[in-house]
Amino acid sequence: MEVTGGSERGNRARQAADPDAGTGPDLAAQLSLVARGDAAAFDALFEQVGPSVFGTVRRVIRDPAQSEEVTQDVLLEVWRTAFKFDPARGSAMAWVMTLAHRRAVDRVRSVQKQAERELRTATAEIPYDDVIEAVESSLDRERVRRCLNSLTELQRESVTLAYYNGYTYGQVASLLGVPAGTVKTRMRDALIRLRDCLGVAE
Amino acid sequence: MSRIRGRDEHTLAGAYAMDAISAADRDRFERHLAGCQECTEEIASLREATARLGAATAVTPPAGLKERVLAAAAMTRQQVPDAAAADSPVRARMRPGSWLRSLAWPGRLAVAAGAVAAVAVLGIAVVFGVANGDMRQQLDRAQASSQQVAAVLTAQDAVMMNGVVAGGGTATIVMSHSRDALVFTAQGLRALPSSAGYELWLIGPSGDRPVGMLPTGSNGMTEPVIASGLRAGDHLALTAEPAGGTVRPTAPMMLDVAV
Repeated sequence: MEVTGGSERGNRARQAADPDAGTGPDLAAQLSLVARGDAAAFDALFEQVGPSVFGTVRRVIRDPAQSEEVTQDVLLEVWRTAFKFDPARGSAMAWVMTLAHRRAVDRVRSVQKQAERELRTATAEIPYDDVIEAVESSLDRERVRRCLNSLTELQRESVTLAYYNGYTYGQVASLLGVPAGTVKTRMRDALIRLRDCLGVAE
Repeated sequence: MSRIRGRDEHTLAGAYAMDAISAADRDRFERHLAGCQECTEEIASLREATARLGAATAVTPPAGLKERVLAAAAMTRQQVPDAAAADSPVRARMRPGSWLRSLAWPGRLAVAAGAVAAVAVLGIAVVFGVANGDMRQQLDRAQASSQQVAAVLTAQDAVMMNGVVAGGGTATIVMSHSRDALVFTAQGLRALPSSAGYELWLIGPSGDRPVGMLPTGSNGMTEPVIASGLRAGDHLALTAEPAGGTVRPTAPMMLDVAV
């Protein structure tokens, strides 16, 4: 464990970080410092990804206490396995968020009955509007909102129900009353359009 | 959904990138990915998009979450490339609260420290062919201590602090107010002659109490020491004292941390 060592490097990484970008090279650099046990870099990394990880996990899980637990788990996994991040295979933000979303979904599905309960009440929820409500403040959020709006209704609903509620494409299909195969295709089409709209293609 | 083949596999990319897929389908798709460079690249690019969906939900994490994560990380051994393969069966899954299982101060598991000490005592007992009452007591104490350490480290309100030791070295303190206790360890302390040792103190308005001598550890780390019964206004202090310890600090403070 390196408690105080490396703080200079960590501070430098933190200063270079653009708080809004989240996907810049700085985060990747921080992650490689974290892989070497740099506690200051990990602190800075938490500042950058913590809100997105917690927001996503909470959106999927809903329960605040469980969301905190899973967020802690995700960040500890980032700490433990930081060396696995490979910048050639995507951004640091995507790496962290993939871990976070999968953990959140795994947690929800491990409590199957709860998931079924949520599924029954899902039609009463308006996940898309939730997103809109939370997206007032930053340019990034504005762009996500605009790009979600550019999708067809079925594409948008498939994406928000899957990503924000953690449903499988089969569950989404039965919720929307369309064939599973259709939902599957729409999900891929939707993400490709989102990717191009957001300008995050590699 | 029981079989995925042909073009079907490719259309799963969207569902897979959003984890909108059953565990069985996920495994199958990952086997497919292993042999499809194009699909791997597509998934990577779609995940840049899903990451933005996630980032759009960003909210300020609850107070104290960062401190708990940092404290846990400080005591969690990191995987390294060489060890990854060997480690993965054991460390593949982390359950909530279970980070304790992979806690580590370098070279020595914090929670296991008690157990290590217990094993050392047992070893001596075996060497000398005795297991008398003193050793039984030492074993019991070692076990009780490791349980106390674990209780502090896993407390919901555990926070971590670092301090610099005058004369060389750093101290790491994990404190839980709900437990009225803290766990102390230090690294890189200057070596003292065998006639002396580092003694830890609680100093405050309700009196100065010796916590105990820091046990020498490996790799320049001391073994964790628990200080319980914290009171308002207490400071944690470190001094170099005669090896047997003293009842009051007699040497200059080398560390003074308000707890």
